[in-house]
Amino acid sequence: MGVTEAEGRQSYLVFACGSSWYAVPAESAAEVVTFPELTRVPGAPSFLLGVFAHRGEVIPVVDMALLVGTGSQSTKRAVLVRLPKGSLALTASTVAGVSLVSGSLEPLGTSGVHMHLRGPAKGAQRDVAVIDPDGLFDHLSQGA
Amino acid sequence: MQGLRVSGTLLCHAGAHRIAFPAVDVAVIDAPSLHAGRSRSARQAFGEPAGASRVLLAPSGETVGVDTLEIDAEVYRVLPTPPALVRVAGGCLLGFISVRGELWPLVRLVEFEHFLAGASREAA
Repeated sequence: MGVTEAEGRQSYLVFACGSSWYAVPAESAAEVVTFPELTRVPGAPSFLLGVFAHRGEVIPVVDMALLVGTGSQSTKRAVLVRLPKGSLALTASTVAGVSLVSGSLEPLGTSGVHMHLRGPAKGAQRDVAVIDPDGLFDHLSQGA
Repeated sequence: MQGLRVSGTLLCHAGAHRIAFPAVDVAVIDAPSLHAGRSRSARQAFGEPAGASRVLLAPSGETVGVDTLEIDAEVYRVLPTPPALVRVAGGCLLGFISVRGELWPLVRLVEFEHFLAGASREAA
């Protein structure tokens, strides 16, 4: 994302994990899934809860609350994010739906995962952190 | 390994967690007492205290302890490692196999032992 202001035209899927709300571009959010019991991955960081098989593909599940550092959130639902480089499932305790987002798209931090969360912004009448899915994917792929 | 298939696996548990190794990676299955103080425990890759009831010995000498093991001669299709996980555990993940409806991470024994050794050094 090279813009610093949400233009109000792109749609986002707005969801919560714990007490924090996130918005991911709707074009990347393939579906909301209920995942089965996960298979832990040896050597994986704690925020990577495990994997499950979905339509012949192995999908890693990332606990957004643990990743961001706001504690763990027990849920069996996730937003499946599909990118040309791969797929991720981001845990979601609540899904508000698809909404336009307005506000700033400045990185919320200068290091770690917060570089790939942008805001402050509003979507679905809530304060949301806008996820840069490509940046988040690259962050996780580097071993986070 | 034949393309995206594996023929002959060791289906193991490390604590409550599943982990599989290609049978060709394992030269000997030993008792832990024969490698006391020298073998790594697969449990540590899941954040659990070390422990093992069997030790897998690679042809090149690396040893990894597991809690249970089952030798499986079936041929399994290997589901590719998700791109986001290719660097996890030092890149030792070959992929995943589906056995009796459950996913098992398929791991190269030597690289996995090196990962455990590195993690132990970092923790020390």
